[in-house]
Amino acid sequence: MNDLRVFFTCGVTSFRALFGWVNPYVFVPILVAYPIAQILFFSYLGRSAGVESDAFFLIGNVFCAAAVASMFGMGQAIGGERRFQTLPVLMASPVNRLVMYSGRAVPTVVLGFFVAVIAFVCGAAILGVHVGQTESVALVLALLASSFTCAGLGLCIGSLGLRGRSVGLFADVLSGGLLIISGANVPLEKLPDAVQSFASIVPLTHGIEAARNVAAGASLGDVAGLLGTEVGIGAVYLTIGLVLVTVFEREGRRTGAFDRF
Amino acid sequence: MIRVFVTGVRLQLLQLMRSGFDISAMLVWPIILASIAFYLLDAKESPRLLFAAALGTAVMMMWAQVIVGAGGSLDNQRIFGTLELLVAAPVPLVATIGPIMIGAGAFGVYGLVVTLLWGRLLFGIPITIDNWAAFAVALPSCVIAIGLLGLIAASTFVLYRSAFALGIAMQYPVWIVCGLLFPLSLLPSWVGPISWVLAPTWGFRAIREAALGGSAWSSIGMCWVVSIAYLAISLVCLTYFERLARARASFRLA
Repeated sequence: MNDLRVFFTCGVTSFRALFGWVNPYVFVPILVAYPIAQILFFSYLGRSAGVESDAFFLIGNVFCAAAVASMFGMGQAIGGERRFQTLPVLMASPVNRLVMYSGRAVPTVVLGFFVAVIAFVCGAAILGVHVGQTESVALVLALLASSFTCAGLGLCIGSLGLRGRSVGLFADVLSGGLLIISGANVPLEKLPDAVQSFASIVPLTHGIEAARNVAAGASLGDVAGLLGTEVGIGAVYLTIGLVLVTVFEREGRRTGAFDRF
Repeated sequence: MIRVFVTGVRLQLLQLMRSGFDISAMLVWPIILASIAFYLLDAKESPRLLFAAALGTAVMMMWAQVIVGAGGSLDNQRIFGTLELLVAAPVPLVATIGPIMIGAGAFGVYGLVVTLLWGRLLFGIPITIDNWAAFAVALPSCVIAIGLLGLIAASTFVLYRSAFALGIAMQYPVWIVCGLLFPLSLLPSWVGPISWVLAPTWGFRAIREAALGGSAWSSIGMCWVVSIAYLAISLVCLTYFERLARARASFRLA
């Protein structure tokens, strides 16, 4: 019962306190305007190059929007503690770490999904892309799966906040890398073989592929394997993240790194 | 004034060169954006088109560095409590904030080098400058024009507490409207006049025409025309917004 209380209280409180983008003056420019402009930019670039359709770029960049929200959110959920100098207090608390970090992951997954939906609706309206009701259900599932995977990667990034300050740097570089490696803006077959192999283990790749297949007429059953792979990758990242926070917490206690700013 | 300005640019560049975030962003993002453009445009089709795309990406990074870096710099000044000191300094505000913008724009030249090297080494894009004299003038003209456009944005950032967020949101719209990676003919016709008043349009044209051949000098001239206009507008805006921020006592609010 106490774990359940920690799960919800910790998740909601940390999200409200640490996620600086909740402020509408920050939320709208970064999580609404930026993704929509990104969708338009790459769609027009695609039109100019005569490569792929607007739907291709719309879907790819909607997933990237979810990734930005989930990864930065999760990174900030840990990294922000150092900035506000509350990390030592948090590390001294006797709560179950798995429950605490899981609770912090949930709001970022929901946020990533929410941001992606806004970007999709606005982007589809501007570009004139139509998606049917049946396809929408599968798209929602793909988005949730990818948001979960990105939150897992975000936990890995956030764990670095237990050792250093520049969580945002890693999140920025990785979110940029996902624009190309995940196939969001370049068809995967155009990329070198090594990058294609690497793409299969990064977040978004399978979620985007599933969403594009659905938009092309595939059923939910047809893409179930891809969605399962995406969730599986997310579970692996989450596990790695939990191991990293455990190791870095131990190291931080030993070296007294929690108080450094 | 000149000493303040030169010292300001030097300090801004020193800060940027010691910032892991800015160094890595300027290393990674040009590579990512240029790679997407190269793969979509297909490297084997037209080397000249790819060279133009590389230059466009470089100008994109200049604008990003100015608008995001400048917003971030002002946010940091606010957080560290030094914005008040900048405003209270016995020189005009433009002399203390202007160098932040010009320094950020100049740092964007690093992005140009990264983009061209990446294009050359990985995609084999031939880097040949048609008119070196025009190119040597076009590059600083572009930096100054983009920096001064950033100065207008910065004047509102003095008032706006979430400058960094606004800076991030202003990247893609300007990249789109200025036609840095795709022609403006793809966009609705009403976008054209907007692009004419934006520095990256003329800066990009000046650099591209100097490198690939064309009437670079007229675009360089337009860079200077818009720069003078930006300076005049930013002086008015800075005075107005500074007074407003003083009246609201909002410099300390982080």
